Amino acid sequence: MKTNEQSRRQAAALRWVVRIFMILVTVIMIYPLLWNVYSSFKTNNEFLTNAFSLPKSLAWDNYARAIEKSNLLSNVGNSVLIVLITLCVIMVCAVPCAYCLVRYKFFGSRLMLNIYMAAIFIQATFIMIPLFLQMNALHLLNNRVALAVLYATMQFPFAIFVLSGFLRSIPRDYEEAAMIDGCGPFRILIKVIMPMAKPGIVTVCMISAMAAWNEYPVALVMLTDPEKQTLPVGLANLYEVQRYATDWGALFAALILALIPTIIIFLIGQKQLIQGMNVGGLKG
Amino acid sequence: MFRDEYFILALKNTLKLMAVVPIITIAIALVLAFIISQSDLKERGLYRTVFYFPNIISLTVVGIIWSFVFHPTMGILNSFLNGVGLSAWAKSWLGDGSTALWCIAVTLIWQATGYYMVMHIAAMDGISSEIYEAATIDGAGPVRKMFSITLPLIKDIIGITFVLALSGTINLSFTLSKVMTGGGPNGASSVLLQYMYTQGFINGNFGYAMAITVFTLIISIALSMVSRKLTNSES
Repeated sequence: MKTNEQSRRQAAALRWVVRIFMILVTVIMIYPLLWNVYSSFKTNNEFLTNAFSLPKSLAWDNYARAIEKSNLLSNVGNSVLIVLITLCVIMVCAVPCAYCLVRYKFFGSRLMLNIYMAAIFIQATFIMIPLFLQMNALHLLNNRVALAVLYATMQFPFAIFVLSGFLRSIPRDYEEAAMIDGCGPFRILIKVIMPMAKPGIVTVCMISAMAAWNEYPVALVMLTDPEKQTLPVGLANLYEVQRYATDWGALFAALILALIPTIIIFLIGQKQLIQGMNVGGLKG
Repeated sequence: MFRDEYFILALKNTLKLMAVVPIITIAIALVLAFIISQSDLKERGLYRTVFYFPNIISLTVVGIIWSFVFHPTMGILNSFLNGVGLSAWAKSWLGDGSTALWCIAVTLIWQATGYYMVMHIAAMDGISSEIYEAATIDGAGPVRKMFSITLPLIKDIIGITFVLALSGTINLSFTLSKVMTGGGPNGASSVLLQYMYTQGFINGNFGYAMAITVFTLIISIALSMVSRKLTNSES
C-alpha cells in the first residue's frame, strides 16, 4: 500500500507533467499569432536579418503602409457593412422561424426541423458554382447587400438549430399569461420571447457575425470589384501580391488589423459563445 | 471526370486529408478536453480559452500565417530546426510535393482542435464525478479512467464531432490550399473543391466543375446521413 505521502507526491508530480504538456500545447497554439504581432512591428530589414528577434522599436509605419497600400480600409468597411446586414436579416428571419417551429406544431414542422439540421452540413463551398450562376442570372453579383442576405441564409440552419434549443427551454407559462392579457402572437414574440431568449440570440449573432466576417470562398466568388471586397479576400490578394514584393511588415500589420475585431468580440463574448455552442450542439 | 489525372490527384489528396486530419484532431481534442475537465489545474479556464483561440481567426489569416511558418528561409519551422541543429531536416515545406499536403493537414489540425475540444469538455462535464471517485477507490489511474469511463460515456458526442471534423476538412481544405499553396507544386496539394474552383472560375469549364461538385456533394450527403443516424440513436 502506498503511503499518503507517496501518493500525494505522485499526484503532484503528475500534475506538473500535465502542466508542462499543456504549456507546450499553449505555445504551439499561440506562438504563430504572437510572432505575427511582433513581426508587424519590425521594419523589413530587421525582419530579414532575424525572423525571431523582438523588434527594436515599434515600427508603426508598417500599419500606415498596410492601410494605404491595400484597400484595407474599404475592405474593413465592406466587411462591417455586410456583417451588420447579415445580423439584421438573421434576427428578422431566424428568430420567428425558430419560434414557430418550436411552438406551433403544424404538419411538417418536424420534417422542416430535420431538414434544417441536415442543411447544416451543406456548406457554401459545395454549391459555389450553382450559386454563382444563379446570382449572375439575378444580376446580383458584385452586390454587397445580396452577399449579406446570402450569408444570412447560409447561417440559417445553424441559427435556427441553436435558437430552437434555447426557445424550447422557455416555459410556456409566460406566453399563456400574455395571451390571457390579450397579446397577439407578434406582440408575444417581441415583448415576451425575445427578451427571454436574449442569451441565445446573442450567441447566434456572435457566431454568425464571426462567420460572416471571416468568410472567404463565397466572397471571393461573388465580389469581383476590388472596392467592394471583404477583408479575407483583400488579405489573400495582399498576400499574393506580397509574395513577390518584399514588404512583409505591411502584410503582417494588415493581418493584425484584420484580427483585432475578431479578438475583441471573442474576449467580450467568449463565455456566451462557448455556452451557446454547447446548448445548441449537444442537447436535443 | 474519372479519366482526368488531375481530378484523381485532387481526389486522392482529399481522401488522404480526410483519413488523417479528423482522427488526429479529435484524438488531440479528446486528450486536451479530458485534461481540462478532469485535472485540478487552477489555470484550466485559461487553457480552454487559449486553445479555442485559433478557431476564431479567419481561415485566410491562418493560411497566411502558417505559410510563413513553413517558409523556407524565414519560416518558424526551419529556423527552429536550424537552431536545434537538425538543419538536415529543413527544406522548402510548401514547395515540396511530398510535404505540401501535410502542411495543410497540420494547419487544419491546429485550427480545428480547439473547436472540438470545447464540445468534448461540455460532454465530459456532464459525466457525474461519482463514477470517477468510484474508479479512484478501485485504484484506476487517469489513463485508465479516460479509456474505460470517459470515452465510452461520450461515444455519441465523439461520433458527432468526428463527422463534423470530416465535413470540416473537406470544406476548409479549399481555403487553405488556395491561400497557402495554390494547388501545390504540380497539383500535389490540390483538393477536390479547390480543383473545382480552378476549373470553374479560372478555366471556365463550368460543366466539369459542376460534375466535381456533385461528386463531392454525394460524399458529404453520405456523411450527413451517417451523422443523422448517430444523433437519432442518441435521442
